[in-house]
Formats: sequence, C-alpha cells, structure tokens
Amino acid sequence: MKILSNIFSLLVLVVLFSGCGKDNYDAPDSRLTGTITYNGEALNLRGTGEAIQLQLFQDGYDKHDPISVYVGQDGVFSAMLFDGEYKLVTRDGNGPWVNNRDTMVVNLKGSADIKLEVTPYYLIKNEQISVTESAMTASFTIEQIVPSATINKVMLILSKTQFVDDVNNVFRQDISDVKSGAVSFTADISGNTDVSNAKALYARVGVLANGADQAIYSSIVRIR
Amino acid sequence: MKKRYMLVALTSLVLSMTACNGFLDREPDKIMTDEQIFNDPVMIKSVLANYYGRVTWGQHVADWGSFAIIDDAAKCDGGPDQRSTFEDDLWRVYDYTLVRNINQFLKGLRETTALTDAEKAPLEGEARFLRAWYYFNMCRGLGGMPIVGDDIFDYTPGMDVTSMQYPRSTEAEMYDYIISECQAIAGMMSTNKQTNSARANKWAAKMLEARAALYAGSIANYNNKMTTPIKTDGGEVGIPADKAEGYYKIALAAAEDVIQNSPYELQDKRPDDKGLNFYQAVSVKENNTEVIWARDYKYPGQTHGFTNFNAPKSHAEDIDNSWLGVVLNLVEQFEEIDTDTPGEGSKIETMENGSYKFYDSADAPFKNRDPRLWGTVIYPNATLKSSPVILQAGQLNKVDGKWQILTGDLDSKDAQGNIITALNGPKESNEQYINKTGFYIRKFIDETPSAGTRGRGSEMWMPRFRMAEAYMIAAEASFELSNGKALDYINAVRNRAGVKPLKTVTFDNIVHENRVEFAFEDHRYWDMKRWRLADKIWNGNNNDELARHRRLWPYLVVAPGDPNDGKWVFVEDYLFMSPNARYFRMQNYYNFLDLGWINNNPKLVKNPYQ
Repeated sequence: MKILSNIFSLLVLVVLFSGCGKDNYDAPDSRLTGTITYNGEALNLRGTGEAIQLQLFQDGYDKHDPISVYVGQDGVFSAMLFDGEYKLVTRDGNGPWVNNRDTMVVNLKGSADIKLEVTPYYLIKNEQISVTESAMTASFTIEQIVPSATINKVMLILSKTQFVDDVNNVFRQDISDVKSGAVSFTADISGNTDVSNAKALYARVGVLANGADQAIYSSIVRIR
Repeated sequence: MKKRYMLVALTSLVLSMTACNGFLDREPDKIMTDEQIFNDPVMIKSVLANYYGRVTWGQHVADWGSFAIIDDAAKCDGGPDQRSTFEDDLWRVYDYTLVRNINQFLKGLRETTALTDAEKAPLEGEARFLRAWYYFNMCRGLGGMPIVGDDIFDYTPGMDVTSMQYPRSTEAEMYDYIISECQAIAGMMSTNKQTNSARANKWAAKMLEARAALYAGSIANYNNKMTTPIKTDGGEVGIPADKAEGYYKIALAAAEDVIQNSPYELQDKRPDDKGLNFYQAVSVKENNTEVIWARDYKYPGQTHGFTNFNAPKSHAEDIDNSWLGVVLNLVEQFEEIDTDTPGEGSKIETMENGSYKFYDSADAPFKNRDPRLWGTVIYPNATLKSSPVILQAGQLNKVDGKWQILTGDLDSKDAQGNIITALNGPKESNEQYINKTGFYIRKFIDETPSAGTRGRGSEMWMPRFRMAEAYMIAAEASFELSNGKALDYINAVRNRAGVKPLKTVTFDNIVHENRVEFAFEDHRYWDMKRWRLADKIWNGNNNDELARHRRLWPYLVVAPGDPNDGKWVFVEDYLFMSPNARYFRMQNYYNFLDLGWINNNPKLVKNPYQ
C-alpha cells in the first residue's frame, strides 16, 4: 500500500512539473524601438497617461485588436514582440501632428530601430525658462510648420517631477490669442505653495493647436 | 461479495425500467413558452415590466458615485478621488439583447389573440418607446450604431453570420429613426398620466422625440463650428450642418405639443416657498404635476440607498451617510434673486478690503439666491426634516488682535459650549462619513421615515422627462431658430423657480439655466457634449476654477467683545478630495467601440481617436 501511494505521489509530482509545456509560449523577446521625428529630430510630447499611442497590427489572424505602443515624452517608444511583419500606424486624431494613417511596415527580426516621421503643426525652439519666487518667465520661438494651423493655447507648466505636461504639474497657466513667432510670457506664481515647497522643479512650455488632441512641448528645463 | 453485485445489478435494472414514469418529464416552471406568455394578458404585462427594469443608464440615483464624476458633486467617502479624465467607455450603452427581447415581445404581441387591437396598441407603443429610448442612450455615447428594426436573429451552428452583421448607421439616421419611432407610437399610447409616472405615455414619447431632435440639431450645429469637427468618413459620427434647422423645428414642435396639450404643468403649488416647491416638483411623487416619465422605485423589492448614503450625518438613520458633497462650482451657479445680471451665476464673496467678509448667519450667502438652490443643495443651516443641518468647519478667534482659525474633532465644543467643529464637519480627513465640501445634496434625498436605512431603502424616483425640460427644449430650439419665442419659454421656467425674468436670451443663459434646473438629473454631461463645450470647460488645468472641484467652508466667529462676534466667515479653496481637475479629452466626445464587437462584426467602423 505504501509503495502504491509513493508511486502515486511521484506520478502527481511528475505531472505537476512537466504538465506545463505544450500550451505555453516563450515570452516575446524581439525588441522594436523607435522615435517619432520631424526632419529626423525627435519630438517632445506628453509621455504620461498613455496619451500618445501608436498601434501595431499583424495580418493573418482572426482578431484585429491592435497592440498599443505608448510613446514617452522624448518621442521614444519601444515594444517587446515576436519576430514577424507588423504594420505600424498612429492612432486616429492622436498627437500634435497632422493626422496621417498611412501604415509603415516593420519587419522585426531580433530587433529593429525605426523613425516614424510626422508633420507637427508647430515646433518650439530656443526655449529660455526661468523661475523666481513670484514669477515664471518663458521666452521661446513657436515655429509654424503647417501654414493653415492656428494656436488654441500656450501652456506654461511647472512640475516637481521630471514628468511635465498638461496633467502632471503643480502649476499650469493657459494663454490664448497667441501667434507663432518669437514670444515671451510671464506667469504669477506667488502664493503657490506647491511650487515654493517643491524640492525639485522642472519647467516646460507647450503649444496646443486647434483641432489637435495633444500639445507639442519644449524640452524640459530643470529649475532646481 | 458476488451476492452484493447481483443486488446492485438488479437494483439498476429495476431503476432503469421504472424511471420513465414522467418524473423527469415535467414542464419547466422557470422557462415559459411563447404560447404561455402571449395568451395571458397578465404575463404580457410582466414581460413588459422586465424591460422597464433594464433601461436605466447614465447618472442615476441607484449609483450615486456617478454624480461625482462631473463638476456638480464630489466623493466625500474616505480618501481622495484621483479622477481626472473620463473613461473611453463611460456610460456606454450597448445591449442588443434588449433589442432582440423587445422585438420578440413585439412579434408575440402582434400575433396574440388574447388581447384586442385596442388593448395591444399602448403595449406596442411602450415596447417601441423603450427600444427608441435604448437607441437614444446608445447614440448619445457611441454615435450611429446598427439599426435592426423589428428583426429577430436566430443563430444555428454553421450558418453564415455575415447576414447578421449590420454596418453602423450614420448618426443622423439613428436620430431620424428615434424621431420617426416616437412619431409613429405617439398616437398608439395613452394620453393620461400614469401612476408615479412609471410607465411611458404619449407625452414621454413626445419628450423623447424633442430631446433626440434637440441633440441631433445641436450636434449638426456646434460640431461643425469646431476647428476640426469630430466625424467619420461614413457619417457614423457627425451630422451635416444643413440639417440643424430641420431638427430644431422638430424639437420645437414636439416640445410645444407637450406644453400645450399634455396634462402636465410646471408645478407651482407653493408660491410662498419656492425652494420647497422646487424640491417637491422634482423629488416628491404625491400629487406631482411636473414629471412625465421617471424611473420609479417601490418598497419592497425596488428601493435604492441614495438617502441612506448621502443624508447628512446629523440626520442619518443608519451607519452610512455623507457620501456625496456638493461642490462650490455648482452652488455659485445659482444667481442672487436681486441680481443685476439675471441668468448667470456669481461668486460668493469671502474677502472684503483685505480681510474676511463677515456674514450675519451661516446661511446668509445662500438664502437670497435662486430658490432652486434650497431645493437642490443643503447649505449650512438649511432645514431638513424640520431641523437645521449644521455645517461648521471651525471657529474664527481673535488672538493678540489677529484672526486665527480653530478647528477640532467632529462634534467638539469649547469651554463656553460653543461648537468648534460640527458633527457634520466639514473637515479635512481621509475617514468616511464626514462632509468635506461644506454642502450636502437635497435633490433625491427622501424624507420618508426609515427611507435612509440599509434594510428598507428609499422609494425616491428619478425623473427622466419633466415639464421644465419641455420649456427648456422649446426655449433652446426657438433661440437657435431665432423665432422670438425663446424668451417666453425660458422665463416660464424662471418664474416658476422664483428668479428674475430675462430681458434677452443668450446662449450662455440657456447653458446656465439647464445647469441649475437639471442638476443631478443626468443632463449636464450630455449637454456639455452636444454643445461641444466639454473640452473647453473641463480642460484639465488644476489652476482653473471651473475645471477643478472647490469647497466653501463656514467658520463661526467667536471673539467676545469684537463687533463681529457671532458672525460667520467663509473660506474657499480647491477641494483636497478631488486633487485633479476634470479633463475631457477630444476622444471623450464619443465612446470607443469595444474591439470584441468589431471582431464579431468587422463591418463596424471605429470611432474617431480610437
């Protein structure tokens, strides 16, 4: 009887340890990395809240759910995938650029690094941002890329983390009626204890074009 | 051993021979056949009642958390509510099972001989009304979706499913379908009032027609005024601008029909107490002349916990209380009665000449405002069940010639017996059962004894259509059509409310009037969407007073010898319970389609931004 139960236990153990082979796949280990660019230069974007997404599709399967790829605030994205042929496309209406749903075919074997060219409505150049106890001053150049675009608003933003955008901030001031070109703004931050108490402080400016769902940003400036 | 086997074998044999005595061949008593149902008028009514229980969507009283999603109230229960954005499937409605069931019902009803044609007509009208109401609720979230008409699909394994895969209709077609259904059934339905407005009659159908046409008209109008209108190539989302006028005319005609011919009226039974009058018009069923169609609740069985969860702590009947706190954003929308600028809200002044502004009583900043404020919100010292609701965050003391704030625990008193912090708060805390905004909700709070207990629950209804909306639809449609009648209609609502009539009507007046009249009635979110204002107001900016929840806390001045002793001051601040401003993104104008639906039906196209 004892031998029987020993054999039985052994059998159970063997089944437990060996059972999981047939229906499991290895994790994907091919790496797709890329950058969203304009004329080869990476764009500064909102990198939090899954705000900017690309979609990867693969043909030949029953289901057509896209794989969402989230873009960071420096315009860089990456995804771990299986080898194969993918179609990369921006999400409809998403991003501070002209909506373009042309697909880009990506052949992934081991790894791939790609550049996804888009046409942003605006770019922010030459940003100079300074913060005193009572005021935030920003001067920068809004470069018009799409001639027909108009500006919805300019945002001056301070954050106590290095994630700085329209949602992640301790201070945000919206300014409307702005034209492209060299501009300079000052915002009153006196009395904002979130700002004065922040151990680290990062600043950024953003420009939201009319009709776009996301703003284009400047690079991030560390204030303290 | 062998004997036992024989015995078992014999028993099995006997059992297998005798088992078929019909014991297992009973008719199921939980599954009814079509004949059983449609040959019995009572059963037919029961089936219809089932559909009434399946058509509650959006913000509603049985889901009070839904009221904290927009800018009318905040969650006060426990720790902060981190919400900023709105989900892609928020209040999304997609229930073709319901459509199929209603279509089965219609087929059975049309074929039965148990009822006369005259008896069938109102039942068919109600079923089709509920189906149109479903399509409307789906359309305002998703845009145009498949219209299946009266078709009933039956699937047998192996059949070709592509014939069942209907493409999406355009948004305009969907509203047209809803409008035409309402027009077709209006003549079939009863013109009389219904008990507790629980069942739909002709006037509910007219109201749905008016509201659907108004929504369609405003999307045709305001969507195309955006820099980049939200639309799909096939028109599943977005309505051409030239259709706006036609829709506004339909809305106006249907609303005027209700105003002129229906047995309902703007309830105005207590001209001496306009605040109570407004509360009774919306929140009391007995002798109500205002409400046309409501989700009714009845004890036992059909009750909800709204009163239990949201009553003030001092008036609670059970453990739960204080879940929702109305925010200052809504309170200051109620205009002052003797204002020079009727039809717009005004801020409550808290400072004067660089110091606190002193008020004579805790309710002084509120009691001379639009009486609908009393009927919607419980403000400090307002009466509930004939006793005042004390809201006091703390005291304002004078120490060494300087004003200083003193706060304590809930229900704390100083040595002289003055309240420091009231039992109700407001108080900054992560605990539950404490008010944190300075205001409670009154609309839909049930004053019936034991309505606020866990065991019984409340029978409070939730109106879906009421007379004031007929006037507001007529006012808005008239305004958009510039036919000169808008002023009369909006002033009818304002007169009933007890505020000054307007001399001219602007678009902002209409937005404002809708907000204060229909707060907590599942209007505002959809209104902001159809006017394409949502992304402008809820812009996600934490420094924007309109986008972020705010509180207003009352303090009692305790400074013996000072002329301001015994007066009240108020302190305004952003609400710590809602640290993030509301952020309505462009993609929120339409829900996303579930990818599972698209996998099942590849003819469905995605919505913008998806």
